[in-house]
Formats: sequence, structure tokens, C-alpha cells
Amino acid sequence: MSEYRPLLIAAAIVAVLVLVVVLARPRPESPDEDDDSADVAPTPAPANLVLFFPGDDGLLHRESREVHGLPTALPARARLVMEELISGSAKGFAPVFPWPITVEETFADDQGNVFVDFSSPPVATVGGTSTELMLVFATVNSIVANCPGSERVQVLFAGREVKTLGHLDLSTPLRPRPDLVAR
Amino acid sequence: MRTRFLFALLGLMLCFSTPVSAVPVMTPRGPVEVFSRADLFDVAELVRLTGAEVGFSAAAGSYTALLGEREVQFTPGGTLAVVDGRLVPLPGPIRVVEDRPVATMATINALLAPLGWSLRGTAAAPQLVPLAAAPGLEISLTRSPTGTLVVARGSSLRPRMDPSPGELRLTYGAPLRLAAPPTGEGEVLGAEVRDTTLLLRLAPGVEAVSTYPLDNPPRYVVRLAATAPTADLVTHRVGPLVVLDPGHGGEDHGARGPGGELEKDIVLSVARMTAARLQATGIEARLTREGDENLSLQDRTALANRLRADAFVSIHANASTARGARGAETYFMSADASDAVAARAAATENLDASPDTVQLILWDLAHVANLNASSRLARAIQGRLNHLQGIRDRGVRQAPFVVLTGATMPAALVEIGFLSNREEAARLASRPAQDSIAAALTEAILSFLRAPEPSPEPEP
Repeated sequence: MSEYRPLLIAAAIVAVLVLVVVLARPRPESPDEDDDSADVAPTPAPANLVLFFPGDDGLLHRESREVHGLPTALPARARLVMEELISGSAKGFAPVFPWPITVEETFADDQGNVFVDFSSPPVATVGGTSTELMLVFATVNSIVANCPGSERVQVLFAGREVKTLGHLDLSTPLRPRPDLVAR
Repeated sequence: MRTRFLFALLGLMLCFSTPVSAVPVMTPRGPVEVFSRADLFDVAELVRLTGAEVGFSAAAGSYTALLGEREVQFTPGGTLAVVDGRLVPLPGPIRVVEDRPVATMATINALLAPLGWSLRGTAAAPQLVPLAAAPGLEISLTRSPTGTLVVARGSSLRPRMDPSPGELRLTYGAPLRLAAPPTGEGEVLGAEVRDTTLLLRLAPGVEAVSTYPLDNPPRYVVRLAATAPTADLVTHRVGPLVVLDPGHGGEDHGARGPGGELEKDIVLSVARMTAARLQATGIEARLTREGDENLSLQDRTALANRLRADAFVSIHANASTARGARGAETYFMSADASDAVAARAAATENLDASPDTVQLILWDLAHVANLNASSRLARAIQGRLNHLQGIRDRGVRQAPFVVLTGATMPAALVEIGFLSNREEAARLASRPAQDSIAAALTEAILSFLRAPEPSPEPEP
């Protein structure tokens, strides 16, 4: 037994060090996965999201959707909203995105700005202002409608800020546009 | 066995101690972990890595970096910095994410350049290097019968062009240096680099008329030409001048119809027809592009600004993921975007002047005043298009379009129909339909130019 004593002492010291480092770590920086459980604890009961999809009239149309495990932390919630938006309309409205797309990351600053980092678009510019307008404001309106604390949204692509996809100025976070929503 | 166990535990400890969102930044002294999110990096950490002394004033809410004789102040939430006491606009804002001041590489480079440093590489593998190691630009000049071709090689970044009388500024997203004096002959009197900007001093009577990037190797080309005809047009013209902007062009096809119809071809044809009709009525009309060429969005409004046009109309054809979408719609600048862009543009205008809040306010007021006229122009266009047979009215809307942000005159963007709709695509590709759209646009522009400005409402 005595031959294991140095090993046990070393293991104990390392364990204490690990504990100290873990406790001394800065606030977790990947809220999607690592936020305090109190912050990201999903709502136990089913919750309703309001999503916005483009219609033939050039306006966004509301679609309610019941989801389970809706996170309360803003970035994780924004990611879930986007994933539901990307999955498409259940009522037959047009897709928001004209190409296959994934959400790489979501994060927020202290000014109410939410950043959604998408995978790269397959083309340099998006054909048609309507496509671009619907893509951007379906994203902005859906996040702000479902994520308390969010006021504006900026879309990024492949981890980078983009000036434009061909028409709209995307270099700053945008406010939601209720005037683009069908009454 | 015992050693393996210890290494495993130590490895576990190291994993825990590494921040999840840190990226290794390569510095001359080796890699250093710096907080990052997407393409945003911790500004204060990077500035400290240059050796600068960085302080934060809670009262002012701003950071001050001191390195030798240079002083840089920046404020989280702001889009301006103070470099050696002078106000400098930043390419983007400094944000606060998880209590840290963060910004894009371009914005950080605007702060690092005065300190003699540069952040290069990609978001995943950034490198902090002394400015002396920044990419060297090679400038070549070629004289042609129509002017001078300036080719800048040595950087893969696409610069922003800011023309002003007698000079041309090309602002890149990273610090630069001039590898050698310009070679060749042309109407350029001199070139110098200031931090992230290439400054070309132009011969009298010369201006930039178009710019475009080239690949393999990456180059940026500026075409210079004599300004005399433009100057004559501005100073001696008797009637109004309208600039028509056929959207897209060159490699940028814009929207594509099911039968292969291309937006860039259709809108060029409509713009030419509209220009011919306007000129037939005595209105001077100019196109931003005469043929199938690529032109940046900023260059399009820059032309209209230089010509001091009375109206700017950007002509586009639409597309949508909604297959049933059809009809015409017209846009003008949204007020939110206008305010933000106007403030930034005003700050840029004052780059070499002391900060002047009054100028910022005046610029903003002028821009907002144009919004009313732009709204009138957009309504005139949409109203005339609604009279055309087979066109569905989708109304007038506001949106932050890049091509409208820089315009200093009433400006509108018109979508003449949907190429994603098979019926509309076939109609838009036909010359009779294009001619009737051109006739409607001409009538709308004429009615806008001839209608008196609405008088301000009397005060109660």
C-alpha cells in the first residue's frame, strides 16, 4: 500500500488543481452548450414559437409552432428558432433560404444585438431583392419575436460579417420589420 | 503506468483550463490565446499584445492604448476612435460580447495600424505582425487613349473607394505598405499609404470612372479618365440630369429566369430605352454601366454624386422562393439605415478635419430631406408601372439597400417584375414589354422632375 502513497498524493494534488482551475474558469463562453444550467434549462412545458415565412404577396406570414425544451438562454433559444425556421413551413409557405444552410453559431452582445452565423451561401449574390429581403427579415423578425432581450439581429456567413448579399446593407444589426408582415 | 496516469490527469487539467471560445493568435513571441466569437476578436487583448499600455476609464467608458508617441482611444459600442487626438471613423463598431470589447479584423486593424501592428490571416488562424511585415502594394500605371489604368496588386482584399477632387482613396481592411514607387506612365502624380489606405494624387481634371477586381493574382483596377465633359455637364447644363443604374453586370448575373433570362441583360435593355426616351424629351440621362460590366454598388451612386444628378433610379428584376410571386415594387431608403450610414459617411468626410458635430447634424438633415423626395420619386414610378397591363402592384417599400445609401439626391430602386415567375420572365425578356416599362419609367421621372416640391406645412 505504501508504494502507492506517492501516486495517491500526486493524484490528490492534481485533482485539487483541476478543481481550482474549473472553479476559477471565466464564465463559460459557449452558452449553447456550457451555460449555467439555470440559464439554459429548457422550459418543461411545450412552448409556442411564432415563425415568419415568405408568401406570394412579398410579405412574411406568421406560423405558430409548438416546441419542447425551449431554452431560456438567448443564444441557445435563437439557435432553436433558426433551426425551426430552416426546417420550413408546415403550412405551405415558401422556404426562407434558397439554398441548404446550417446555423454555425449564435451569440449576443450587451446591447440586445443577436448574431447568427450561417454556413456560406453557395453563390456570391442572391438573385432578387425579394429573396434577400425575406431571408433577412424572416430571420430578424423570428428571433426578436421569440427571444426576450433581443432587439436587433445581424446575420454573418462562414464566421464573417458581410456587407451585402447583393442588395441589402447587412453590415449592422437590423431591427424587426412589422410592416413586412401580412395582417 | 504511474507516469501515464499522471500525464492523463495533467492533460485533463489543461483541457479544462483552455477557454472554449479562444483562438490562438500567432505573435512574434509565439501563439497566444485570445477570446473570439465568429470573426470578432477581443480588441483590448490584441492591443496589449503589441506591447501597448492599455487602460480603461470607467468614467469615460473608453480604453486608451499608449505605445511610444502614439495614442489610440476607443469606446465599446462606438464606431469612431481617437488617434493622436484626431477623430477616425472605424470600418465597424466595437461591440461588447460576454463583457469583452470585440470587433472584426478590419476594425481592429484600424486601431492597430497607428501602433505599427497588423492582424492578418483568417479568423481561425490570425497572426499579429509588425506593420513592416504588412503586404506590399505594387502600383502600375498604363496610359490609354481614354485615360489611365491603375492596377494595384499585392493584396487580395477588395478596397472601398472614396473619390474626392484631386485624389482617390482606396481603403483596405488591413494595414499596407507601398512596395515601391508606381511604375509606368499615367495621370497619377503620386502614391502613398497611410495605415490601411492607399492615397493616389491625381492629375488635374482626372477622376476615377470605374473600378473592378481581378483574380489570379488578385488585383484591383481603377480606370481614370478626364473629368472635363462631366464638369461641363455639371456647370453648363441647362436641364435636369438623371442617372439610371442597370443592376448587376459582368460576372454578377443577378436573378435568372426559368428560360435562362438574365436580370443583368433585361435591366440594361430597359435602362437604355428609358435613357433614350428621357433624352428625347430634353432630359439629360446617364447610365452607370453602358455594357455588360461589373461595377461596385458604391461606384454606381458615386457617379450620380459626381454628376450632381437630380434623380437616381436603380433598375432591377426580382426573384423569390415563393413561386407565385409576381408584380412590380419600388423601394426607397429606410430612415434607420439612412441615419446610420449618413453619420458614418459624415464622419468619413471629416476624416482630415476636427470633429464637428454641427456638420454631422447638417449631413443628417440633408439626407432626411432627400427621403421625402425619394419617397415621391418611388411613388411616381410605382404609380406609372401600375397602369401597365399585366403588372401586379406590390407597392412602395423602404429597405436599407446599399446602392441607395450613398446617394446625395432623391433615389429609388425599382423591381420591374419577377424572373422566378415563368410568365413574367418571358414577358420581361420581350422588347415590347421592356419598351412599355421604359415608357412608364420615363413618365414617372418626368412627373417627378416637373412637380413642384411640396411646401412645408405651416406651423400651428
